[in-house]
Amino acid sequence: MRHLFHPGSLRRPFTFCTQTDSLSPVQRIFWLAWRDLVLEFRGRTGILSAVFFLAVMLFILAMAFGPNPQDLQKAAPGVLWVALAFAGSLLAGRAFGLEVEDGTLDDLLLTPGSREWIYFGKLLFQFSLLILVGLVLLLLTAGLFYLPLQNWAWFVVVLLLGSLGYAAISTFYAGMLARLRGREVLLPLLLFPLVIPVVLAAVRFTQGLAQGIPVAELSDWLRLLAVFDVIYVTVCAMVFPYMLEG
Amino acid sequence: MQLARSNQTNRLDSLTLGILGLGMVGAGVGFILAMGAPPDQSQGFVARIFHMHVPMAWMAYLASFAALGYSVAYLVRRKAHHDRVAAAVVEVGLIFMALALLSGMLWARPTWGVYWDWEPRLTTTAILFAIYVGYVVVRGAIEDPELRAKAAAGVAILGSINVPISYMSVKWWRSLHQTQSIDLTTGKINVDAAILIPMLINLAAFTLLFIGLVRLRSIIAAREAAREEV
Amino acid sequence: MLIEAQAVAKRYGRDWVLRDLDFQLAKHEAVALVGPNGVGKTTLLRVLAGLVRPTQGSIKLVGRVGFLANPPAFHRHFSGAENLHYALRLDGRADDRAEIDRALKQVGLPHDKPVLSYSSGMKKRLAMARLRLQNPDIWLLDEPEAALDVQGRGLLEDLVNFARASGGVVIATHDKSWLSLVDRVVELRAT
Repeated sequence: MRHLFHPGSLRRPFTFCTQTDSLSPVQRIFWLAWRDLVLEFRGRTGILSAVFFLAVMLFILAMAFGPNPQDLQKAAPGVLWVALAFAGSLLAGRAFGLEVEDGTLDDLLLTPGSREWIYFGKLLFQFSLLILVGLVLLLLTAGLFYLPLQNWAWFVVVLLLGSLGYAAISTFYAGMLARLRGREVLLPLLLFPLVIPVVLAAVRFTQGLAQGIPVAELSDWLRLLAVFDVIYVTVCAMVFPYMLEG
Repeated sequence: MQLARSNQTNRLDSLTLGILGLGMVGAGVGFILAMGAPPDQSQGFVARIFHMHVPMAWMAYLASFAALGYSVAYLVRRKAHHDRVAAAVVEVGLIFMALALLSGMLWARPTWGVYWDWEPRLTTTAILFAIYVGYVVVRGAIEDPELRAKAAAGVAILGSINVPISYMSVKWWRSLHQTQSIDLTTGKINVDAAILIPMLINLAAFTLLFIGLVRLRSIIAAREAAREEV
Repeated sequence: MLIEAQAVAKRYGRDWVLRDLDFQLAKHEAVALVGPNGVGKTTLLRVLAGLVRPTQGSIKLVGRVGFLANPPAFHRHFSGAENLHYALRLDGRADDRAEIDRALKQVGLPHDKPVLSYSSGMKKRLAMARLRLQNPDIWLLDEPEAALDVQGRGLLEDLVNFARASGGVVIATHDKSWLSLVDRVVELRAT
């Protein structure tokens, strides 16, 4: 395969394994996400600190809003998503933190083919972490804030869509800032204004669910979340390869 | 070659000065005409702040589009010039956003009774303001010019795409603003001609000021870059 | 030609690390890159690998690039075998265990000790095993002899011979003994 490479050209030096290209890009995405999950659980620091941070945060918020059960229940949807947004900003650095700590980012960039798949692999990893933390959080909020979970399937749906939108942006910025000093401070600064629509739509849908409003009347929020997810995953995947070059 | 090119974009040319001058004259004329316009039926003289507020908000969103365009251009063409213009657009845009927010708050107090209202356009402008503050901070945090330009382009692209989404979400969340003065979808104009003409003059004047300031800022940035290279 | 680089230049901040540099690598060629510290050997290798975008100039590459960094990087919490396993998977290749076992045995490394406990010489050996499994067309080695013992040095020379037979090699080095083993020596001078 031949590729031109000069500044001012859209192309980068793609290099291809000339011999056995036996895994599809989708399989590589899954392998990257799987490898990072295995590493994350072996190191344990990231996920455990995020979960404990959440538990403590929920306690403080419950003390601020409680102890009246009605007040707690009213605050529950907001608490759920604010806590997830904060935990997400803690976890966001993990997507590339593992690579930076071990210095392995270059090896990832040297893998053959274009670099969109790296974004998708890291996105899948971030998304899985957020879902895991989100499920724990959902149970904690149900217990501490009396969030009614009768409609639990819809809670999971909004958790999935909200986490995807959040992870799409956090993965993008984490990759962009991976090599920079001060990334821990810069990441939340960039992340939070951008995820306002996601958090807003997710909170509104969750509030409606908690108040027992029929899902048909709330479906606009889900649609907004879905549109947001599609736009951000697409745009981030397109721009991401430019962000990673050294 | 580098020097020759930087000389070209380095010079404070007469076009920039002309645009700035014309913009200032236009803003003066617009201001006088606005002060002469009849008071609003329900809001009285307070409604005249509209002549400042609308063009400023307009500039804020023009800046968002321009930043998107120049950032994409930078990623595709890798010309330092595009990066400098994108940065200039954001910086000048931030000033207009701050003014739009401030004038919006001053207008909200007598009409709605509060300084801040969670109105879609106001809230979206505030979100955009936060994103562009992030843009400036990121630029300040990265020393390498190419890394800085790439990261900044990423922030600007995502931030600009966020504008319609924020707007939609906040609009659904809550809305109690008056209807848009010029409805872009139908073209129907619901403002009296006596108010519309000064408003359009103001709009044109502010656009000229915006372009002139961006050109001026880019020239300064080009000079800074040229000095750094030596 | 495996590599054709023309008028490559790289600037970090105000400083030009590389300036107006042409470089070619033919198939079955081994090139030594020499020069004092800070002259841009590592930067040139990274530019050739596509890890750093040059400020100016153009680079044409044919084939997959393999890079032996100094020091090489691995995931600390994975064993040597796991590191090789995921390296191949992310390259888009299905690996088999026997292949990895053979590669590890070849460089004399244990199977399941975490890389955390490796010495720098062992890491270098693991990097050699990884490169051999990846089997690139263009081999870029940055001070490959650093941290290696006599036996490791022998393995490295075997690897370079293999690389020359299957593709082309560029070795950035301060070790004069490479000069007799390569086809061409390129000396970088301070700009």
